[in-house]
Amino acid sequence: MGTSHIPNRRDFIISAAGTTAAVCLGGCSLSSGENFMTTGHHKSGTAEDHRHWSAMASLALEKIKRGGCGYGDIRLMESRNQSLRAEDRRISGIRERFDSGYGIRALYKGAWGFAASSVFSQEEVERTAAKAVEVARASHLLMKSPVKLADEPIHVDKVVTHRRIDPFEVSLEDKAELLLRVSDVLHKRKGIIRTDGFLWMQRDVKFFASTEGTKLNFDLLAVGGSFGATAKGEDDFQSRNYIVPFYRTGYEHILQHDMVSHADRIAEEAIEKVHATQPAPGKYDLVLDPAHLALTIHESCGHPSELDRARGYEANYAGTSFLTPEKLGHFQYGSRHVNLIADNTRQGHMATTGYDDDGVAGQRWPIVERGIFRGYSTSREVASAIGDKRSRGSCRADSWASVPIVRIANVGLEPGNESLDSLIGEVKDGIYIEGRGSFSIDQKRYNFQFGGDAFWEIKNGKRGRMLKNVVYNGITPEFWNSCDGVGNRDTWREYGFITCGKGQPGQSGWMTHAASPARFRQINVIDPKA
Amino acid sequence: MAADLILEKDFRRMSEVIISSSRADDVFVSLNDSDDTTLRFANNQVVQHVAVRRPKLTIRAAFGSKFGSASTNRLDNASLISALRQAEQIAYLAPDDPEYLSPLGPQSYQPMNSRIARTANATSMDLAKRTKPVVDQCVDKGLVGAGIMSRHVQARGVAASSGLFGFHESTESRFSLTATGEDSSGWVLNAHRDMDSIDLLGMTRSAVMKALASRNPRELAPGHYPVIFEPAAVAGIFSPFIRSLSAKRYHRGDSPFSGNLNSLVLDPRLTLSSNPDHPDLLGSPFASDGMATRNQTWVEKGVLKQLYYDRFTASKHNVSHNPRPSASVLAFQGETADSVDSLIAQADRAILVTNFWYIRFVDRTDITLTGMTRDGTFLVEDGRIVAGLKNFRFHDSPLRCFKQVDAATAPTHGITINGAKMLLPAVRLPDFHMSSVTKF
Repeated sequence: MGTSHIPNRRDFIISAAGTTAAVCLGGCSLSSGENFMTTGHHKSGTAEDHRHWSAMASLALEKIKRGGCGYGDIRLMESRNQSLRAEDRRISGIRERFDSGYGIRALYKGAWGFAASSVFSQEEVERTAAKAVEVARASHLLMKSPVKLADEPIHVDKVVTHRRIDPFEVSLEDKAELLLRVSDVLHKRKGIIRTDGFLWMQRDVKFFASTEGTKLNFDLLAVGGSFGATAKGEDDFQSRNYIVPFYRTGYEHILQHDMVSHADRIAEEAIEKVHATQPAPGKYDLVLDPAHLALTIHESCGHPSELDRARGYEANYAGTSFLTPEKLGHFQYGSRHVNLIADNTRQGHMATTGYDDDGVAGQRWPIVERGIFRGYSTSREVASAIGDKRSRGSCRADSWASVPIVRIANVGLEPGNESLDSLIGEVKDGIYIEGRGSFSIDQKRYNFQFGGDAFWEIKNGKRGRMLKNVVYNGITPEFWNSCDGVGNRDTWREYGFITCGKGQPGQSGWMTHAASPARFRQINVIDPKA
Repeated sequence: MAADLILEKDFRRMSEVIISSSRADDVFVSLNDSDDTTLRFANNQVVQHVAVRRPKLTIRAAFGSKFGSASTNRLDNASLISALRQAEQIAYLAPDDPEYLSPLGPQSYQPMNSRIARTANATSMDLAKRTKPVVDQCVDKGLVGAGIMSRHVQARGVAASSGLFGFHESTESRFSLTATGEDSSGWVLNAHRDMDSIDLLGMTRSAVMKALASRNPRELAPGHYPVIFEPAAVAGIFSPFIRSLSAKRYHRGDSPFSGNLNSLVLDPRLTLSSNPDHPDLLGSPFASDGMATRNQTWVEKGVLKQLYYDRFTASKHNVSHNPRPSASVLAFQGETADSVDSLIAQADRAILVTNFWYIRFVDRTDITLTGMTRDGTFLVEDGRIVAGLKNFRFHDSPLRCFKQVDAATAPTHGITINGAKMLLPAVRLPDFHMSSVTKF
């Protein structure tokens, strides 16, 4: 890297005195009286002293109760985010973001109000609580069927993401050096005209308290990264990407993925791709790898199984769903090979936070079982509306300033019993697709179109040369019903997402989709420009 | 309740504290403070109602060509200084960036009256009261209404060690409705600085009418069709066109416009310009780096006249830096139709599109896009709407389908679901590629 002279670096080292005291698996229970640790990140003197959070929460909850509300909660949060971007052989940006504040929900006669502020003072928390009540009272003017919250036991707990290496303790030089080494390897291949790299990490320290008595402390961490290379051909450009999937853990995850060791292959494949041919449009058998299926699952199963969408909450924005409640329990979503399970207890997955922002404990439940549509991602509000006794615990906000909404859970395709070789072995004329490309889907999640990051021809059971510009189009249930084989446990991989857009004002949702590769018969591959 | 956002004098003081405390060669400070109230309704009742005050201050510090950014939402002096130190630390450790440029010097900004008191002062009760007649109309017609009613107040500031200083306050109100029937829907969206400039009841009637008129939708085979696009649909197709006007990509050789500067790229009667000071648009006097915005023309009578330049690319090519298009106006020069209704009246056969959804690039090098029609797709025959249609997926490029425009209205407000507000005509085009059909 270009830092040949670093005199007196010590002047610039910011005190990072705090140490991570308690480390346990997601969702572990500690005694309720324990003070929450200070994470000691940010700067001495300005980081919130979290011991005052509990007192602030009590003030807010008291104000809500006095305002005549049947339910209320407060989330106090402090987030630290760091990202590094590389473009070609330069670091194009290093950013640190510190964001803290609190959001207060009040339910007045079944009507919601929410107010949020970033000023941590007794007067401001009381003013903000009063504002939440005022907003809820205004909402009440337009409430015909009052919100009822599904019951949830009271929880007092502390959740800490398991980590070995705190990503914020790793020096920026080491991180920048990693991205620059990747760029160097990528640019060694002739024909690569552009490269990019990305590292990302976020810590969220959070305290949730409700008028029902739930009190939850969180220290959550997530990391991820990626790099890509673009090759120039005779009359087009093609890129190839490598993903270090977003994961709830420490920096060891970045190190384990050893980005540098994959760089030369990625550059080589970008070049092979730009010189590859485009398949003739028509029906092909597709074998889709987990990094690709993660997005297919997200769009075609995750979103339609959000109960708020199915109930019309997003009709004006993100859209509704073809998976309407009367289809529960009998609709043939996919073939018998298709088991799509939501699991917000799976360690390391992005939606595994112990409890959601309704204060509901993480759970595991089926969305699709042996092809039959079985369940939704829900919140306390929408669960009760379809008569469910308990929320699935999939209601999350993307910051203190956002109100919790139903979010896709960690929905994954359960492994089957085939090896990757046997999946491919039974394909005469097909395409193997890896990674994510361009995607688009209608607002009820029927008609979709997916590209990919890399494509290989399959001829007579063997993976052959690379292809490019492969785009397939289909109708969700027809597509999943054409699945006739899923890879075994050894082929199962996990991919985290952080940019799932939903809600007004817009929020970014986080979740993980795991999958084994799977085979789909006679899928419509189109000429994207015809 | 009036928002107590950060005032110009407060921002000036904060930026002075930061700049005078900095050890870096350059410091650039930007502020974005907002107070937003958004009421969201669905199933003819309120489902979400939020009031959020959210400031954010970002500091970029540089030593030579090494720079780093840090942002915070704590605005006391100690927090500002610690964010500054953090930006300096990052800058110090960062490798040299050959594309780094020092902050701009002082700029002169056009005055804009962007803060409308009645929007700023609207309360959550005001939003609820405005929403009630909208919902009542939906209920009346046996439809289900979902949408938003919002008001936002924003303060933005930029300041730098180079003497740059800018501050701008603005308001915005947004209204959108999707009226849904058993098998049909209709949609409207508008945004304005002044909430009284949004015609709530007229827009509601339009969404309701569309939901009623698109009942029992027919399925039409995919194929190439003449189309009538309402302004929001034109906005959807044009946004990727506007984003593609990057000089950096032009000079790198992977721009859809490579080699086409000063060539015909659209129908010769179409002119695309930026009008940041237009009272019906939501422009700003300065871009995020503090560069003054100005009214300018990108495509004149179909000919591509200029591209937007980031500062590095501008300096490399020795041209002036040119912020990316904002507050865009697409105008049709020639005889214009009075309204969408007259475009319909003149059509033998066409598909009428209210809006598009989930538009994505299929190929950036020629702006081939895909996406879906949404919330009001109709078959027009012999000058009138004869049926609602099941929604289509399309594959097409504005470079192809806007080569010839058969007829157009004067520009009016058009916003896609995720996009910026523009003024655009409704248009009738001879040929557009609807590539597949969905189930509703």
